[in-house]
Amino acid sequence: MTAAARRLGRDPALWGTVIALWALLGLFVLYPLARLSWIAFFDGGRLALGPAWNVLADPNHRHAFVNSLLLAALVGVGGTLLGFLYAYTAARAGLARGWLTVLDAATLLPLVSPPFTTAIAMIFSFGPRGLVTYHLLGIRGASVYGLASTLFAEILTYFPIAYLTLRPILSAIDPNVEDMAFSLGSSRWRVFHTITLPLAVPGFANAFLLLFAASLADFATPLILAGNSFPVLPTQAYLQITGLFDFKGGAVLSFALLVPAAGVYLLQRYWVSRGAYVTITGKAGPATAVKSVAPWARWALVVACAAVGAVVAYFYALLFYASVVMAFGANHSLTWRHYHVIFTEGLKAIRDTLVVAGLGMPLGGLFGVLVGYLVARRRFPGRRAMELVSMINYALPGTIVGIAYLVAFNDPPIVLTGTALIIVACYVFRYSPTGIRATVALLQQIDPSIEEASQGLGARSGTTFRRVTLPLIVPAFFAGLGVVFIRSMTAISATIFLVSISWTLITVRILENMTELALGPAAAFSVLVVAIVFVVMAGISWALRRLQAAGSLQVTSILGG
Amino acid sequence: MPRARTGLGWLAVVVLALAALVSPAAAADQLNAYSIWPENWARPMLQEFEQATGIKVNFVRFSSGEALARVIAEKGNPRVDVLFGGPVETFAAGIKEGIFEPYKPPAFNALPARFKQADGYWVAIADDPLVFMTNAKFLKEGNLKAPASWEDLLNPAYKNMLQMADARTSGTAVTRIFSIIEVNGRNEDKAFDYMRKLRRNVQVYTKSGGGGTLPVGLGQAAGGIFFIVDALDTKAKGYDVVISFPKEGIGTSAEAIALIKGAKNPEAAKKLIDWATSPAMQSLYARHKINFVPANPEVKIEPSLAEVLKGAKIFPIDDAFAGANRKRVVDRWVAEVLNAKE
Repeated sequence: MTAAARRLGRDPALWGTVIALWALLGLFVLYPLARLSWIAFFDGGRLALGPAWNVLADPNHRHAFVNSLLLAALVGVGGTLLGFLYAYTAARAGLARGWLTVLDAATLLPLVSPPFTTAIAMIFSFGPRGLVTYHLLGIRGASVYGLASTLFAEILTYFPIAYLTLRPILSAIDPNVEDMAFSLGSSRWRVFHTITLPLAVPGFANAFLLLFAASLADFATPLILAGNSFPVLPTQAYLQITGLFDFKGGAVLSFALLVPAAGVYLLQRYWVSRGAYVTITGKAGPATAVKSVAPWARWALVVACAAVGAVVAYFYALLFYASVVMAFGANHSLTWRHYHVIFTEGLKAIRDTLVVAGLGMPLGGLFGVLVGYLVARRRFPGRRAMELVSMINYALPGTIVGIAYLVAFNDPPIVLTGTALIIVACYVFRYSPTGIRATVALLQQIDPSIEEASQGLGARSGTTFRRVTLPLIVPAFFAGLGVVFIRSMTAISATIFLVSISWTLITVRILENMTELALGPAAAFSVLVVAIVFVVMAGISWALRRLQAAGSLQVTSILGG
Repeated sequence: MPRARTGLGWLAVVVLALAALVSPAAAADQLNAYSIWPENWARPMLQEFEQATGIKVNFVRFSSGEALARVIAEKGNPRVDVLFGGPVETFAAGIKEGIFEPYKPPAFNALPARFKQADGYWVAIADDPLVFMTNAKFLKEGNLKAPASWEDLLNPAYKNMLQMADARTSGTAVTRIFSIIEVNGRNEDKAFDYMRKLRRNVQVYTKSGGGGTLPVGLGQAAGGIFFIVDALDTKAKGYDVVISFPKEGIGTSAEAIALIKGAKNPEAAKKLIDWATSPAMQSLYARHKINFVPANPEVKIEPSLAEVLKGAKIFPIDDAFAGANRKRVVDRWVAEVLNAKE
C-alpha cells in the first residue's frame, strides 16, 4: 500500500467522493465507449476487424475523412488569424471601454447561438438568389454548397474561441516589456514580431487546436452547407445510422473521428498548455500607455474588426428579420406569428430545454469543481487517470458521444433512453471539463498553505473544502456552470440522438423546422435561444462581479475552451 | 455554515427532481407516436383526435428513415405505440425488421388493396403523388416551360439548380427512385443511368423530403421532385412555384399508419388507427389545408386538389417490390449516384 492509499483510508469523505466520482465517470464515460467499441469491432462476441475495415476502406468514407481533416485545419488557421485580429485590437489598440463591449458582443453572438444559424444566413445571402450574390451583385447561378461556404460559416462561428483564448494571453504580456524595446530603439514592427508574437505562440497553438477540434466535431453546418461534393465524417456517421440503420458503420466512422480528435487533445494537453500559466501572475507592472500600435495601424485594425463585426451583425439581423416576416422571400409583411407558434406548439421544446439546461447547470458546475479540486489538491491513487477520463467526452466529437449513449443506455442493464437524465448526463460529462480546467487553473494560483492551516486546526477535509476552498473557487464554479448552460441551450451533435417523445430540445426542433418548410419558427427559436443565453450570461457575470469584489481571482471569460 | 446547508438541501431537491425525470410518461388516456408527417399537419390531426376521444397523443416528428431507425433501435424496449404517416415503402421495410403488430381497423375491408397490407401490418391513411415543382421566375427568365417529361429535367438549363431528397433519410427520395425504376420498365441499369445524368443538375440532396421546397420557392434552386402535399403547401405560403407532371407518369405513395409490436398503450393506439383510417380524420384534410388525397373511398377528394391532379398520369408504387428491394436500391443509389465520380 502506498502512502497515498493510507491517507485515503484515514479520510472517509475524500474516499467516498473519489469512489462516487469514479462510479459516475465509469457509467457515463467509460461504459458507453466500451459498448460502442463492442458494436464497432466485435461480431457475435469475437473480435472482428473485417467489417470495420470494409467501412473504412470504402473510398467515399476515406474521402469524407480527408475532407474533415482539411476543413478542420483550414478552420483552425482562418479562425486563429481572425481571433488574433480581434484579440490584438482589444488588447493593444487602446479602445474605449464602450468599443470593447461592442467587440465582445460581436464575438459572443456566434458563440452563444445554435451552431447552424450562420449556415442558414449563408444560404440566404450567397445562394443563386442570395441577397448578396443575386440582388446586390447580380451573379446568376452562384453555388453556396461546398468547402468554401462551409469554411466561411465555421470560421465565423468558431473564431470567438480563438479570441477568448488569445485575448488574456495578449493582455497578460506586460506592455512594459514592449516599452523597453521601444526605448532601446526598436521599430514597432520589430517589437511586434520579435516580442509580442513569440510570447503569444502558445496561445496560437492552443487556439488552433481548439478550433480544429470544434470543426472536426461540427455536424450541423456541413449538414446544411457542405452539399454533395464535400461529405465530412460527422455528417456521414449520422446519416449512416439514421438513414441506413447501420449502427456498426456509424460506430466505425465515429471511431475514425476519434483518432485525430484524441491526437489533437493530447497535443494540446501535454505540449501546448505546458507553461501557459506563467504569464498570469496577477501582478502587472505600473500602468503604461501602450505604444505598440501606430495610429494608422490602429485604424486599420479597427476597420478590419468592424468589417467582420458588420458581417456578424448582418447575419443576425437577417435571422431576426426572417423571424418576424410571414414567409421570408415571398411575403415580407411583418408578423409575430412565428413567435406565437414557438410559444404554443414549441412550448414543450422550450420547457424541456430549460429544464435540461437548468438541471445540468448546477450539476455540471459542481462536478467540475469537485473533480478539479481533487485533481489539483488531493493525492489519491488514480488521480491522473481521473483527470484524463473526465476529459474524454469533452475531447470526443459529439456524434460519437451521442451514438455511444444511445447504444449503451437503450437496453438493460441500464435503460435511460427516453428520459431527461440521459440528456442531462450527456451535457454534464461533455461540458463540465471547462469547469474542471478553470478550477485547476484557479487553485494553482492559491497557496495550499491556506487549506493546510485549516486542516492543521483540526477541520476535516469536507469542512475545509466547504468553508475554505469552495469560496475561493466560486468563480470557477460559475464558469463551469455557465458553459454547461450555454452548451445545453445550443449543442446538437450529441443530443440529436438522445431526444425522445418525452424530452425534446430547441436545437433539434430548429433543425427539423429547417428541413421542413418552417423557416419562420426556426429563426424565431434561434432568436429566443440567443436572448435566453444572453440574459443568463448577464446574470452569471453579475454574480461573478459581486463575488470578485470579495477578493477572488479574476476569471477572464466563462467561455474559454 | 448555514449557507452550506442550504446549498446541500438545494442539491437534494435537484437530485429528487432528477429521479422523477427518469420514469417516462405512461398513463391510460394517452399514447406515444413517432410522426413522419411534419408537425404542421400531424399536430392539427392529432389534436382533433384528442378532442374526439380524450386520448392525448405525445409525438415527435422524424424523417421516415430516422423514425424507422429509431423504432428498430428500440425494438427491445419500444418507446412509442404508433408510427404515424410516412410513405408506405418505409412501412414495408419495417415489416422485415419485425417491428409492427398486425391490426385491421373497421375501415380495413372497404380500402382498395393497395391501401393496406394484406395481413394488416400497415393501413393507409392518405395517398400522396409525387410532382415536379419549379420556380416560376426561373422558368420565365430561362424561357423554359414547366418540365413535362423526365427528360426535361436533364436540360442543362437546370445545371446545379435542382434540389431533391437524400435516399438515406427520406421516403420521398425512395419513392422517387422507385418511380424512375418503374417508368424505365423496371430496368434498373437504365434507371440508374438516368439518375446519374440527373445528378449533374442536382445542387444538393436534402435530408428531408420537403427540404428542397423552400429553396425552390425562394429561387435558390430552380426545381425538384416533391410530394404534392409539400408542393401545394409551398404554393399556399405565397411562393411563386409551378407544379407539373411528367407524361411518362410518376409514382404515388400511400401514407400509412402502423401499430408497433410491444406497444405499451395498445388499446389507445388501436383507437388512433381506427380514427385515422376512417372518414373522421380524412375528411378533415381539406379544412386544415392539407393536400393529401384521402385513402378512404368514402371521402371525396377536395375540388381544388382534383383540379391540380386532372390529366396527370399517376401510378402506385408496388409496395411488395419496394419493400423487398429498398435497402439494395438505396445502397446502390448511394454508391452510384450520390458518390458518382465526375
